[in-house]
Amino acid sequence: MGRKTLINVTLGTILMTAGFGAAWAVASDPPPDGETSSVAVRLYLTEGSLPTDDLNAAAWNSIQPSEFKLAPQVHWPDRIQEVTVKSVKVRGMHNGRDLAVMLEYDDPSEDVADAAALEFMVGDQKAHFAHGQGMLQVEGGPVNIWYWKKENGKATDMSAKGFKTLRAQERQDVSATGAWQDGTWRVVFSRPLQTGDEADVQITPGEWRNVAFAFWDGQLVDGVEKEKGSQKAVSSWWYIRAEPQPDNSIYGYVVLGIAIAAGFEFFLVRKIRKGNQA
Amino acid sequence: MKGPLAQTGILLVGMYVFLKFILPLFTAPLPASLIFLYLALTVAAAMIFYTMSGAGLEEFMGPIGRFLTGEGQKGVATTARVMVFMLFPLLVGWQTYTKLAPSDVPPPENRTIHPAPPGEFVGLSNPFQKTQENIMMGKGLYAAFCSPCHGANFDGKGPASVGFNPPPANFGDPGTIAQLQESYLFWRIKKGGVGLPVEGMPWKSAMPRWEVELPDEWIWKIIMGEYDGAGQSPRTWEEEE
Repeated sequence: MGRKTLINVTLGTILMTAGFGAAWAVASDPPPDGETSSVAVRLYLTEGSLPTDDLNAAAWNSIQPSEFKLAPQVHWPDRIQEVTVKSVKVRGMHNGRDLAVMLEYDDPSEDVADAAALEFMVGDQKAHFAHGQGMLQVEGGPVNIWYWKKENGKATDMSAKGFKTLRAQERQDVSATGAWQDGTWRVVFSRPLQTGDEADVQITPGEWRNVAFAFWDGQLVDGVEKEKGSQKAVSSWWYIRAEPQPDNSIYGYVVLGIAIAAGFEFFLVRKIRKGNQA
Repeated sequence: MKGPLAQTGILLVGMYVFLKFILPLFTAPLPASLIFLYLALTVAAAMIFYTMSGAGLEEFMGPIGRFLTGEGQKGVATTARVMVFMLFPLLVGWQTYTKLAPSDVPPPENRTIHPAPPGEFVGLSNPFQKTQENIMMGKGLYAAFCSPCHGANFDGKGPASVGFNPPPANFGDPGTIAQLQESYLFWRIKKGGVGLPVEGMPWKSAMPRWEVELPDEWIWKIIMGEYDGAGQSPRTWEEEE
């Protein structure tokens, strides 16, 4: 390779990089300020069985959690103005058949009435995050609630469509395990992605679903549980999605796109040359 | 630098610098999509201007054609030509990839923040006199029922505001109650989040349906206290005429 060619190639590369940089600057807006909390839970695709009973498994700790802030439940009576659980870290994984979601949150004391729950919309119908309560101008759907309480030591698969309609389903599909250590609860819920039960949320890899969270600090204050029933820490709807299988057909389309573009160049140059000769 | 092509290039760079760096000194920064639109318009205008005559067309398109065919080219121009020919298919491939690749970002939500109220809540006026006593009572009720979310300072930053999406409205923001009539607030407080139409995404709102708990009189007084406390005035019919 001659020295001249080398210089040309270097110059071209610099120009190309500069062009890319300029295009990037034009094409991208800076991210909005103050976006510190997450908007979605990602269920990472893994192989083999899920560590549903080993809450300190390396597989859990290697996942970057999503974090959601929580508020006292003020939407309907009985309200509460101050709650123990202020935020929750959420990790998730699935293996194409089952899913597991870990909720990790701070609670200074371990109490038998401590509880945590996940809530989902069922099907495509929108449901209000407060137990799927009725909306005035929109026909709402039901919600599916996965409820775990320390003293039960297991999960309850529940349904609701409006206040005072919350009840355990006939068919129980959810499992849960919780462990408290040094002021932090780790609770893992697990379930098959698809249950075949109409009352359940069905998780299809690649599709977005809505999820919300709730927590109760069951600490006894003067013989009464600090938080119970509608007095709890809550979030409104966020998103959850099971990671889809990698789709290699995308690369076929990319190659096709490159081939079409190169063909277009070839014919364009040939046309201009012909025009010049005429 | 002479020739229409070079002039267009200089014009484009000038426009870009102006839109991206100079204009934001006087106003809010422009979104990238708008800058792109203005630059595309500039190119279109330059092309129309230079290609009005046959000679102009040749002057404008000639260098592009010669560049593409590589006629009588050498040195840097040859390198640049090869780079362009390599870059274009790669860009198309990259674009295809970004369009098809599964996204980690949830679908966008085009929630209407102030959807139209039902007919019966249009044009109602506050039946209570704007007396100091009524305003004070409204502020007291606001402190008890509204401030946990909307904040003691009317800024939407109450202790219960953090967990909700969408967040509670900031009444000090000129885009909220200052743009609305009292009857609109009456509707929103009375029917709450669940009273919103579908474009307002009622399933996400934590706003209580206060008609279940508060009499209308209290709601009207809360509205008075809210405007006074946030230093805003309701929009009225007179202003719109």
